[in-house]
Amino acid sequence: MALDYRKCAEEIVANIGGRENVAQAAHCATRLRLVIKDNGKINKAALENVDGVKGMFENNGQLQLIIGTGTVNKVYDEFLAVTGMSAATKDDVKNAAAAQQPIWKRILKSIGDVFVPILPAIVASGLLMGVVEALGKAIPTFGDTAWYAFLDMVSNTAFAFLPVIVAISAARVFGGNVYLAAVIGLMMVHTSLLNGWNVGNVQAINDFFGVTDGVIPTWNLFGNIHIGSYVLGSISRHGYQGHVIPVMLSIWLMCKIEKWLHKVVPEMIDLFVVPITTVFLTALATFIVIGPIFATLETYVLKGAQWLVQFPPGALIMGAVYPITVVMGLHHMYNVIEAGMLSSVGLNTWMPIASAANFAQFGACLAVGLKCRNAKLKTVAIPSSMSAALGITEPAIFGVNFRFMKPFICGMIGGAFGALFGAITKIGATAYGVTGIPGYLTINNYGLYTILLLISGGIAFVLTLIIWKEDVPEEVPAPMPKEETSSIQSNGADVTAKKVIVSSGGEIAKCTPGTVISYTEINDPSFASGAMGVGVGIEPEEGVVYAPMDGEIVSVADSKHAIGICDDNDQELLIHVGIDTVEMKGDGFTPFVAEGDKVTKGQKILEFDLAKIAAAGHPNTVVVLLTNSDDFEDIQLGEQ
Amino acid sequence: MKEFKYVITDEVGIHARPAGLLVQEAKKYTSTIMFVKGEKSAKATSLMKLMGMGIVKGDEVTIQVEGDDEEAAAAAIEAFMKANF
Repeated sequence: MALDYRKCAEEIVANIGGRENVAQAAHCATRLRLVIKDNGKINKAALENVDGVKGMFENNGQLQLIIGTGTVNKVYDEFLAVTGMSAATKDDVKNAAAAQQPIWKRILKSIGDVFVPILPAIVASGLLMGVVEALGKAIPTFGDTAWYAFLDMVSNTAFAFLPVIVAISAARVFGGNVYLAAVIGLMMVHTSLLNGWNVGNVQAINDFFGVTDGVIPTWNLFGNIHIGSYVLGSISRHGYQGHVIPVMLSIWLMCKIEKWLHKVVPEMIDLFVVPITTVFLTALATFIVIGPIFATLETYVLKGAQWLVQFPPGALIMGAVYPITVVMGLHHMYNVIEAGMLSSVGLNTWMPIASAANFAQFGACLAVGLKCRNAKLKTVAIPSSMSAALGITEPAIFGVNFRFMKPFICGMIGGAFGALFGAITKIGATAYGVTGIPGYLTINNYGLYTILLLISGGIAFVLTLIIWKEDVPEEVPAPMPKEETSSIQSNGADVTAKKVIVSSGGEIAKCTPGTVISYTEINDPSFASGAMGVGVGIEPEEGVVYAPMDGEIVSVADSKHAIGICDDNDQELLIHVGIDTVEMKGDGFTPFVAEGDKVTKGQKILEFDLAKIAAAGHPNTVVVLLTNSDDFEDIQLGEQ
Repeated sequence: MKEFKYVITDEVGIHARPAGLLVQEAKKYTSTIMFVKGEKSAKATSLMKLMGMGIVKGDEVTIQVEGDDEEAAAAAIEAFMKANF
């Protein structure tokens, strides 16, 4: 009779002290892994007798119940249903002990997780774009060359299609289908939509849509149902080039929708129902809700910014909040302000403010890059800061400053004072489009501009150096330097002098120093059942395996934890180190042989790291099974 | 002879323990059950040979069943593959 999963789950819950005693639950291929708050409330005897539980043990603060392949996931689902808990991954279970982080920290972490993998793409583009734009301004004739046009295209690709890159990365972080995410990202920069950079550009709007009023036409999906000035289901036909946050929100939502659909849609029609529904619902939400919210915010930001920069204190505020608008992706319409200033008074006083804000992020990012000891962070922070110095701040903000927050705030402070200085001295630019170092090409006063950059970048740099401290990862103590050969005390000849399996097929020697137990005592149902042949388990004293007989290596698992050997008498022997250690994917295992190698008894064939197996939460029993034991007679097991 | 193809979706492929279960299943039938991947092949009753094929996620294997109970054996192995790999 099939196992009653529900009953099994209910009995487990009853015997571990109820729902409130469970911190986390996950499962692997064969076991239910639980983090229990108070182990004293566990009724071990009763648990072992629950129908469906084949065994249990505690390890690394986890209670592991052996349920079995193909069954454990069903019991787990019922377990979640009974307890009302949500699914956790194994990593979650491992992290459960770590204190629950506040939500804003988790949001920041998500943004960082999405952005860090794509940094190579945008750092490359950011630096190249800064150089190309600067050259275009410095040498006016260069702007007309084929090289300029080509380099311009190459360098701005990553930014023009940023939503696609962000979408793919976000799908990996939030756990959705990356191809569906790519579709959503592409949709947000579709050529049927006006380029997001041109939203404030009347001429571009008129050219693109063939209209004359400079207003972006809409698609009204549900006709003309007005709610105040808002038309229900109205989509403004512009793209989201250069946007980051709306894309992350859309993909986060997409992943939620997709996961939910996978749960409720019958498997038979899953393949065509889930993708189409996911894409359709996400697209609707993106263009009708998420997009307009950001477009509306953008308009307010624009109006607010225009008003603020009329007075020096306003410039101070603008210099501070500028990077926040970059984070929100609301900075794309500032060109409108600059163009307006140039046409009305002939001087772009916005540029020094933006420049101060950007250069301050450069200063903060550079400070992180110089101060940090983490090599990986350094390689991210230094090039990102260079890009920021050239006026492209996304890599520095998303990849570094915003992730750690303190550098970002230091940057805001530096930017505020730089912007205030700019507003008081009334310097300005004669064109728009560049900030930071390339800003020299358009500024009307080199000396004051230099001071502005020094103020903003300098304050941010010094503050960051003082305030920001690198989080030293706690969990990674420096690995003990190990001397490969000398750490093994035993020697192959001594260990293999003892026999563990003797049959009509021949003798198989002990392969690892340690206590020998019968296969039936191995803490794993499929090994203990004899289904894979009979043999022994060895509780290892040392992480080494010697060849237990002369023969040929017929298989070495990709995950390096299992080796198969055949001899001339056709004895097929499996040596499997640890239980469930396939999950370690080879980490901690060093085989010295490959498939096809001839080995002689006593030769060292594998070393393994007992500490790593313990850390991964697996039993370390070395399983030695004569897999074709059916072919032999008079089998005697045990050390002799 | 019955023949069908199967693409491995299990994360770790045909490794020791599930391969052991597969052998157990295959031994229930008198038919010869062969696993073929590219140039490599193995009888489903030989755990060592199966593991030696190094079948991992994404591999397509061809399974050939020949013998008196081939209908039942092929159906059982196919169901087993779907459930475990």
